[in-house]
Amino acid sequence: MSKVLHSADLFSRLVKVTPYCLLALLTIPVLGGLMGVMLPAFGWAPALNKTNMSLAGFNVLWDTPGLSQMIGLSIRTGLISTLIAFALMIIMLAAFFNSVWLKRIEYVLSPILVIPHAAAAIAVSFLIAPSGLFTRLFSPWLTGWQLAPEGSLPYDAFGWSIIIGLVLKELPFLLLIALGILAQPELGKKLRMQHQIAINLGYYPMVAFFKVVLPNLYPLLRLPIFAVLAYASASVEMPLILGPNTPPTLAVAIMHWFNDVDLTLRIKASAGALLQLAITVGLLLIWLLLEKISAMIFSQSLINGRRHYAHQLVRAFTYIVTCVILVFIAAALIGLVLWSVAGYWRFPDTLPSNLVLLHFENAFTHIHTPLFNTLVVGVVSSGFATILVLLCLEAEQITAKPLAKWALLIIYLPLLVPSIAFLFGIVWLQQLLNSQHAFFNVIFVHLLFVLPYVFLSIADSYRRLDPRLARVAASLGSSPWKVFIQVKLPQLFAPILIAMALGLAISFGQYLSTQLAGGGRIATITTEAVTLANGASRRTSAVYAILQMGLPLLGFILAWGLPRYVFNNKQA
Amino acid sequence: MQPSLQIKNCQLYRQNELLLSLNEQVKGGEILTIMGPSGSGKSSLLNWLTGALPPGFNATGEVWLNDTNISSLPSHLRHVAVLYQDPLLFSHLSVGGNISFAMPKMDKKQRQQQIDEALTHVGLKGMAKRHPDTLSGGQQARVALLRLLLSKPKAILLDEPFSKLDQQLRIETRQLVFSQIRKYQLPAIMVTHDESDAIATNGKIINLNVQSDINVR
Repeated sequence: MSKVLHSADLFSRLVKVTPYCLLALLTIPVLGGLMGVMLPAFGWAPALNKTNMSLAGFNVLWDTPGLSQMIGLSIRTGLISTLIAFALMIIMLAAFFNSVWLKRIEYVLSPILVIPHAAAAIAVSFLIAPSGLFTRLFSPWLTGWQLAPEGSLPYDAFGWSIIIGLVLKELPFLLLIALGILAQPELGKKLRMQHQIAINLGYYPMVAFFKVVLPNLYPLLRLPIFAVLAYASASVEMPLILGPNTPPTLAVAIMHWFNDVDLTLRIKASAGALLQLAITVGLLLIWLLLEKISAMIFSQSLINGRRHYAHQLVRAFTYIVTCVILVFIAAALIGLVLWSVAGYWRFPDTLPSNLVLLHFENAFTHIHTPLFNTLVVGVVSSGFATILVLLCLEAEQITAKPLAKWALLIIYLPLLVPSIAFLFGIVWLQQLLNSQHAFFNVIFVHLLFVLPYVFLSIADSYRRLDPRLARVAASLGSSPWKVFIQVKLPQLFAPILIAMALGLAISFGQYLSTQLAGGGRIATITTEAVTLANGASRRTSAVYAILQMGLPLLGFILAWGLPRYVFNNKQA
Repeated sequence: MQPSLQIKNCQLYRQNELLLSLNEQVKGGEILTIMGPSGSGKSSLLNWLTGALPPGFNATGEVWLNDTNISSLPSHLRHVAVLYQDPLLFSHLSVGGNISFAMPKMDKKQRQQQIDEALTHVGLKGMAKRHPDTLSGGQQARVALLRLLLSKPKAILLDEPFSKLDQQLRIETRQLVFSQIRKYQLPAIMVTHDESDAIATNGKIINLNVQSDINVR
């Protein structure tokens, strides 16, 4: 009897294999992609009739004019933006820890998380441009400007515009990750109690946060911070829209070399991709070093008994900065909407003189194909990712073995390795395998970026599901498959939808991966928006940016509303 | 002046429903015990005394500590320390670090000496460098007590402090805690489920069991 049951349980056996599939799906393309970049970098490119290993690619790379400026720009923008976003997140957490305001700030910032980088960059560029909403608000009454001034923002050579854009995107990400960690029932409760103990011992609340909560919170934030730093040092969307052109960041330059009609430039590009990888690894090491140094400096002050620092000053500063950020985001969004419906808009006027829907109507006549592509790629990749992740988590419960620590690192792998460094290798591999299906290639590559987010989004709720539910169902004679489909999934309906919506948002926002894997043949809303941002009119560009924001938002509204709708119907 | 913790005309409400009213004075070295089932408001009373009443609760009345009205002071300025049922030692600090964290700012050498003496006194000699997780439950409870005492509090609140210890350990730890409270002449209020804890205090016992809607005195 038991033998029959055992062999019949195909589901359990199938499920047990999925974690390996997931890990393979994440590691093989990334490592294979890196390999596919490494070989041409050292001169091995059969397609170009080059099979002699040499350092010629690197020699060409070193001779590139402005290379050191590119590297400098990449390092500056990556490190400074991550430092600022991290510092802001910490002081906001410290100032609002255990306050109702933390929840409110979370509500305001969470939608920012799903705004694609490109759309955020477009909104920021409009805001800080010489003729942007900021100068309009203060002109001419304060500045006296009747004409738009000459300004260096955006596209400034130092990279401040890129830094602003990155900080605005990374701050909500880090803050929400930290709040997610604090929402873990056991850990969160322990940290809040310890915070209270420190307060009872006479520590000012903000000081208590720094001395008690942060040292325990930080180790859990390290991996997400690394993902942010890796992204910031090697992304192309933000620098493409906000950064200088002469020269651009290294990642942008590499992309241009790869896309150049002159195929020999690919060798140089591959060498550049390796350089980019080295820079990103170097930045992560620098961050680790900074970590060690600050731990050394502050380890004594943790226990020196000092309960009072300039916390009032820090708190006032935090309040002001929080307000500034919120106003900045609001202004950027309002500005974007205004541009999308602006008719005639003379410079110092704060508002357009007339509003038209013309730009939307124009866009809609061209949008069918990109919209279709965006949706198909998004739905397929996030749907597949969700199924795979759910099976993985089920495997974890069936075998009663939690995923190892290194497995988490692998799940983060596509976020930690700069995509510019491995994507070209993947494309090359896909060509090698003669995979001509652009659609399939794009979906496959999107999957790499969607999987980690879907996993991180859903894992906690899955693990927290009361195990007694499954046991009760099993004791009533339900097979593991039935328990999975009829008990667990309905219980997790809401978090599953949220995870899918997040997956959709990530897929919608992909620029570089879509462009490369699709060989430029698969146009999505995001690729169109980025193309339009460099050149086309602000109004069209604004329309595309809004569409870019609207799609993921729509996904989240569905994910939020559907469970309520279904639930209400069941009640009726 | 004798140290004392005084609760003047306290009325504690949950969503406008009266949970308890209290008018008490605890002198230094005395332990007032408050007993009652969960939901009777005894933990909220402690939260009110430390100045951390959660949302949904409100209270009237005043807390006086050594002839100062501390009712409107924020938690961190009250000098009222709490011993919880979990030791809640900081896992990012060593045993000595945990105690040092609580002590007032002072010379490093002096601090170290006081920590070593205190540890020796409770039978934990030479354990300052250990990580709290390597200690047994009873040892952790003692470190938590030292952390609290060396912060030089003016009053102590005990929130079911021994409920997670087994019988033997419970009696030992209880004796240690109570003797320290008497030695430092600190006013203390203890909340507990356990009859034997209450009897061991040799002090006044208030039972919230019977009628929570009128003055329990």
